[in-house]
Amino acid sequence: MKRLLYLLPLFFIVGCNMEKEIEIVLPAHEPQLVVECYIEDGFPFEATVLESSSYFDYPAPPVVPSAQVYIMYRDQRVKLNYSPGYNSRTNRYFTHITTVRAQPIPGETYSLEVTDDKGRKVTGFTTILPKVPITNVEWRFNEKDKALLLTTFQDDPAMPNYYRYMTHGDTLKEGSLRDFTTSDELTNGKETTYGSGYDYEEGDTLIISLFHIEKQYYDFLRSVRDAQNANGNPFAQPARVKSSLQGGIGIFTNLAFDRDTVIIKK
Amino acid sequence: MPAYAFRLIILLFIVSSTSFAQGFRVSGFVRSATDNQPLIGATVAVRELGTGTTTDARGFYSLNLPPGTHQLQATYIGFQPLTQTIQVNGSAQTINIGLQPLDNQLQEVVVEANSLQQKLTDNRMSVEQLTTREAKLLPALFGEVDLIKTLQLKPGVQSGGEGSSGLYVRGGGPDQNLVLLDDAVIYNPSHLFGFFSVFNPDAVRSVELYKGGFPAQFGGRLSSVLEVQQNEGNNEKIGVNGGIGLISSRLTIDGPIVKDKATFLVSGRRTYVDTFTRLINKLNEGKKDYNPIPDYYFYDFNARVNYKLSAKDELTLSGYYGRDFFTFNDAGFSFSFDWGNTMGALNWRHSFNTRLFVNTTLAATGYEYKINNKIDVFSFNLRSAVQDFTLKTDFEWLAHDKHTIQFGASGIKHNFTVGRLNFDSDDDRQNFSAGNDYTANEFGAYISDDYSLTTQLAVNYGLRLSGFNSDGKTYAALEPRVATRYTITPNTTVKASYAGMMQYIHLLANSGASLPTDIWFPSTTRVRPQRSQQVAAGVSHLFGNGKYLITNEVYYKWMHRQIDFRDGANLFVNDSLENEFLFGKGESYGNEIYLEKIKGRTTGWLGYTLSWTYRQFDEINDGRRFPTRYDRRHDLSLVVLHKVNERLHLTGAFVYGTGNAFSLPVARFAFQDVEGKEPGFVPIYTDRNSFRLDASHRLGLGVVWKLKPKRGEADLTFSAYNAYNRRNPYFVYFEQVKDEAEEETIGFRAKQVSLFPVIPSVTYNFKF
Repeated sequence: MKRLLYLLPLFFIVGCNMEKEIEIVLPAHEPQLVVECYIEDGFPFEATVLESSSYFDYPAPPVVPSAQVYIMYRDQRVKLNYSPGYNSRTNRYFTHITTVRAQPIPGETYSLEVTDDKGRKVTGFTTILPKVPITNVEWRFNEKDKALLLTTFQDDPAMPNYYRYMTHGDTLKEGSLRDFTTSDELTNGKETTYGSGYDYEEGDTLIISLFHIEKQYYDFLRSVRDAQNANGNPFAQPARVKSSLQGGIGIFTNLAFDRDTVIIKK
Repeated sequence: MPAYAFRLIILLFIVSSTSFAQGFRVSGFVRSATDNQPLIGATVAVRELGTGTTTDARGFYSLNLPPGTHQLQATYIGFQPLTQTIQVNGSAQTINIGLQPLDNQLQEVVVEANSLQQKLTDNRMSVEQLTTREAKLLPALFGEVDLIKTLQLKPGVQSGGEGSSGLYVRGGGPDQNLVLLDDAVIYNPSHLFGFFSVFNPDAVRSVELYKGGFPAQFGGRLSSVLEVQQNEGNNEKIGVNGGIGLISSRLTIDGPIVKDKATFLVSGRRTYVDTFTRLINKLNEGKKDYNPIPDYYFYDFNARVNYKLSAKDELTLSGYYGRDFFTFNDAGFSFSFDWGNTMGALNWRHSFNTRLFVNTTLAATGYEYKINNKIDVFSFNLRSAVQDFTLKTDFEWLAHDKHTIQFGASGIKHNFTVGRLNFDSDDDRQNFSAGNDYTANEFGAYISDDYSLTTQLAVNYGLRLSGFNSDGKTYAALEPRVATRYTITPNTTVKASYAGMMQYIHLLANSGASLPTDIWFPSTTRVRPQRSQQVAAGVSHLFGNGKYLITNEVYYKWMHRQIDFRDGANLFVNDSLENEFLFGKGESYGNEIYLEKIKGRTTGWLGYTLSWTYRQFDEINDGRRFPTRYDRRHDLSLVVLHKVNERLHLTGAFVYGTGNAFSLPVARFAFQDVEGKEPGFVPIYTDRNSFRLDASHRLGLGVVWKLKPKRGEADLTFSAYNAYNRRNPYFVYFEQVKDEAEEETIGFRAKQVSLFPVIPSVTYNFKF
């Protein structure tokens, strides 16, 4: 469908600049707590607690020093301390962290609680998922010496599953080459292969990640994508973000993924 | 249906049936003497008796006259009036009338097919009529004459956006229009995002749009009925006409098959942008980093054959086939996307006598889109379609000079294919499919009476019984229709109408544009039919020696069980589509003023609409009502056609409209995402359609210069769309402002995007 949008330039035929900056007066916005927190096996709990901003406000998101963050699991209540910093492994900033490392077991439920001095309270839950192994990675060349990539895994027929598939070049420090979310609604229990276009050349290094994700994370990611696409797409309906949290915006989930690195060869 | 309305209609039928009486019927057809085309809306009258009528869509008229000698006069704009003496001697008689055009130079200078006097006294209200001839004179986008876009210049009819051929009638959506081509439904009446309509102007004779006061014979949609009639074909000689334009060309051939018995018409149109893009691709073939431009084109064919079996029987076979194609091929990769309508209709008109007629139509119609994608051994196919088989019969009984009874029935078998997906690989590694098929049956039966109680008061009242069966569920409803006209003075009438409408099939469209992937879905156990009620009242006044007619109409429309979709609804591949539906209600109300002039060297019209349109859903906008995108407070159209001399015509069309309602994010939040993703901002949307684009206004200018070819006729039509180059807003978005190094975001700003600058065009039209 998006390919149809490529036709729009047909109508910009005179080469005029058909865009101009305009002034928009936005209604007042009551800031909401925005929380991003992922449980990763073997790594310390960390969370980012910020506030939403009116669209034309200063770009840097406001931090919330008064926020109290707790993660509860196995009858434990772990406090994450306010200590903003940068995680060079994940390439992410955080505001709250603890030295306690996560050792999640599939099937366990973790819960999150965030409060602040304005009386706001955000809660969320996540159920630990098992990782789904990548069973095969292969590539095929066309006559122009371009290669497509095929990634195969086995879907579990016993439950509804949701996936996030990403490919990167030779580093995770830069943006992804490919990133999509999908469900097993049409492929339940089947060996499933994700493909690509003829986008790669001999010698390319590719990092392939297959995330086994919760439905709430799947819904959140799709709604984020829809909201971002609605800004600038005259055909899209505006979409509200489906937060996985109560009382605020954001996501609390666990990251269960398999990752493989390959070098494209003939 | 309100019980009182039902009782009132039954009472009217009982009361009126007591007043039927025998008369001496004079009837026949009024046609153009040059090509035998029926003249719709021609006036046939006996002045000394103060009685008269107008011809219907077939050019047919019928009068009840007392015995004696009478002067029967037929008039039609653009043709020489004809008066002939007839003897009525106690038996019915048929008198066919052929009118000569006034001249051969730009005879198409007709603003409306019907005379203003006829519009004044017409029992119907809220009806807009057009002929192709007037549409051809007006300035058009890319020079592509479009009847639908000309209709958008009428009050109460709005476009979805700049350049769109979508119809939004009195607050209804484009899916709530019943679009009929020669009595058969056309499901998607547009090409390419709705920028062009599917109706080739050379193949179409006339268009009639009902905005309210719907006659009982129509059903199945809530907001309007668009009746498009194809040309019958020249009965005198083989004719060829066509045009060469900026983006498309068209050719039509028509003529007699058997003189005075059978005629034919075939017409085709095709765009040719792809010819140039293929050439560009060929010139750049082999260049590294060159990405070929995808192919896009559309074409359509129209055909019609008329065959007079006898003086009482006539068969018409009509067809339409149109396709849009979008294709892209590269090494190991192919993508194609095509969509379009197919229609075939066989119509049989039979006259039992001069009082009773039947019109029976057997039609097959369909719309489908197909997406085929193949890369290496993997193939992906997606198809959705709707296909109808329709049988309907409509009787017209001229029971008395005060009563015209219409009754009939229709049955439609619908087949829906919704999101039929196949994903396959040659090595059988992948093989899965999705999609649903539905069948449904829709039926309708109706009766109505056009009853002239006195010379001043007339009422058209009727009742339609409609029903629908699908998914083991049957729905049925009564739809009352009443329209009345009261003549206060010879130059002033007041009219009022009420119409209840049902819509049993629904368009799955989650955007503001007409997209080819929009697909129809039946009412089921969980998806109940849509319903509307509309009341309208108006006054018309003829002045300036019959040169001007001013009409003012007010209307209020309630819409129940309106359909929208959940945020992020997946309408493409979803076996549980019904879970994505939301149901709510809507209302629309407004006032339409229409001033028109059809006589003299300068003709045209001025239309102004003041209107409000809202929808309300529990799960959208926190349950509060919100304006639709096409809620337009002010909508103004001014159309002027000026005949400078026999060879030169100047035209202009100015439109002004309140900006569309739209949604903007009021806030944002930062989202870092997981390792390997660039952080970004996510917009936060709150109220639906709470912002307004700036008002749109635009002037179109046209010049028609009649050439003097050695053979036949020809003209050059120059057109300037958006003549003063107004940057009308198409949409607004927010973008990040980066620092000089393009690394850091330092702010945000709003940008407005416009679509069309001034677009000059020229079209060469010929006819011989």
